[in-house]
Amino acid sequence: MPDEYRQGVLRFVEMHANSELMGVLPEREWILRAPTLRRKLALTAKVQDEVGHAQLLYRVAEDLGKSRGQMIEDLLAGKTKFHNVFHYPTRSWADVGVIAWLVDAAAIVAQQALRDSSYAPYARTMRKICWEESVHIMHGRDVVVTMVNGTQAQRDMVQEALDRWWGPLMQMHGPRSDRARDRDIYWRIKAKTSEELRQEFLSIYVPRVWELGLTLPDPELRRDREDGVWHYSEPDWQELRTVVTNHGPRSQERLAFRRENWADTAWVRAIVLGARGAAA
Amino acid sequence: MTTAGADLVPATRNALSLLLLSMADDEFVIGFSDSEWTGIAPLLEEDVAMSSLAQDELGHAQALYRLLADVVADGRDADAIAFDRPPEGYYHARLLDHPRGDWAHTIARRFLYDTADAVRLEALANSSFVPLREVVDKVRREERYHVMHVTTWFERLAGSGGEARGRLLDALEQMGPDAGTVLSPLPTELALEMAAIVAAPLAELEARWRASLAPTFARFDLPPLPPTRDPDRARTNHSDAFRWLHGEFTSVRQLDRGATW
Amino acid sequence: MTEHGSYLPPAGESAGDGALLEPFEVFRQEKEGDAMRHGGSVMAPDGELAVHYAREMYGRRQESIRLWVVRRSDIRELDDPDLLQPPLDRSFKKPGGYVMRDKLAAARERSGQEKPSGGRPRSAPPPTRKSHEG
Repeated sequence: MPDEYRQGVLRFVEMHANSELMGVLPEREWILRAPTLRRKLALTAKVQDEVGHAQLLYRVAEDLGKSRGQMIEDLLAGKTKFHNVFHYPTRSWADVGVIAWLVDAAAIVAQQALRDSSYAPYARTMRKICWEESVHIMHGRDVVVTMVNGTQAQRDMVQEALDRWWGPLMQMHGPRSDRARDRDIYWRIKAKTSEELRQEFLSIYVPRVWELGLTLPDPELRRDREDGVWHYSEPDWQELRTVVTNHGPRSQERLAFRRENWADTAWVRAIVLGARGAAA
Repeated sequence: MTTAGADLVPATRNALSLLLLSMADDEFVIGFSDSEWTGIAPLLEEDVAMSSLAQDELGHAQALYRLLADVVADGRDADAIAFDRPPEGYYHARLLDHPRGDWAHTIARRFLYDTADAVRLEALANSSFVPLREVVDKVRREERYHVMHVTTWFERLAGSGGEARGRLLDALEQMGPDAGTVLSPLPTELALEMAAIVAAPLAELEARWRASLAPTFARFDLPPLPPTRDPDRARTNHSDAFRWLHGEFTSVRQLDRGATW
Repeated sequence: MTEHGSYLPPAGESAGDGALLEPFEVFRQEKEGDAMRHGGSVMAPDGELAVHYAREMYGRRQESIRLWVVRRSDIRELDDPDLLQPPLDRSFKKPGGYVMRDKLAAARERSGQEKPSGGRPRSAPPPTRKSHEG
């Protein structure tokens, strides 16, 4: 395969893997706090899946020539990136619902398009991942719907979480890009532009949010009756740039937590990986 | 609501309830503690494996709490029993009061617990109380893998020398005196034995369990486990580590106990 | 076997940093009678943990009834075109190598028979779906 292509796929998959690994942390904070046995099981299984997805994706990337140890080291050193939504704090149990429902929904819209990636091992992995993610969305939606049907305090909790997550969700797919100049599209590593993904997300999920009597904090948000295109206030792209360069509200804490944990478990890797693998 | 055990005499039903509570709380607490590794275990593959073990334990706890809810039949469901008690109302073994600790503590605790639990489950495999026998049958099929998996890790740490072995020895030293608490006698167990709910007294099961571990300990030249410290309070007087865990797992639910979550 | 590079990625930690972890390939069967299909791979320090990890990565949702776990370095690959796609004619080994349309037409003309209608004269009946393997 051409070297530019190999590097393009590696960079793309590595960031995806990093995002799965870092995406574990916001929800992991709630594993101990889940309020029923079933929620506890579902959330633990969901976070476990994210770890599993990180494993699957790092395996794809490893086979392209960069070791897992090196990738994790680069992530912890801030040399590589992870998705914007995982740089934010979680504040209540409603966040668990909103993340599993809408953050995962926004992700799955992008991931479904990757099932047709030109790099076959990545495409196969995405088919497995999409199948697993579909359960997460059900879990998240169930948490949200249950709370919306509950007390006023529960309902307020959901609305407050939604208000906080909407900005990052709108930024998640990235600014509009020129299809002709996008190298990832040129190589068919991915198939759809940011705006196509965002429109798809809005088309499916905004009506489902409104159906619950919840509101979204954007007065401009509406669908054009003529062409079906969603209009919205311009997302804060400066915030996106700030956040993904590890200057988000929780970027440093999350990286520090991972670094500390990585160091604490190095001795275990030393006995299964050998000394050099563990140092990475 | 079904009332499993309605035909049992009150003394037997109370003893059965205490047995179910002890087993369910054991599984619940170790499941909660080990679920903390989800997302931060030493290796991605192992992360997924440890999370499965934690989920299995919570699933077992759920099945046992449901059975307990049927036996007690006071209107509380499995979640209410699992979550809505003060810390002193929990009845898990003191072995599980130890904090999660490092990977060696987790492996040592799991190894000691899973091997003891296997002996306990074996003694219930032919229980006269059919609903329990049915749950135990399913639980045993899942626990087989737990023992397999944790044994490979226990032996790996014990046999690797250096820091890994040192950490395992530390963990065994700290938890050793509490290891036997999983099989410490229950105050009402005579009724269970007489009703053929349990096949043997717990003291006998504890001896059987200690004998089963001896070859592994000898093979890896590990110091033998000491006798159980303060066995009469094996399941009470919980630690600060457990009180912290309790504060966490009730934090959302206590916002509104009447609400549906 | 070949000089153009293997389809199999390298065995052992790909950065070659002396690690003891190595890749194992996992094949899975979804239900009795199905073929074993490649699922993906896991990294593990030995065969025993590789089996445990394969169970976690490819079986924790009850999506498999059987797994095969193979050390990647134990796989022998053959993709040499001289051995697998030899250049000389092999049409006598394939159904498509036997074109009889014109010869059959000539035979019918000689015998005065019509071309049979309906049925499936072209080949053996399709194999039944039910398999009795395993």
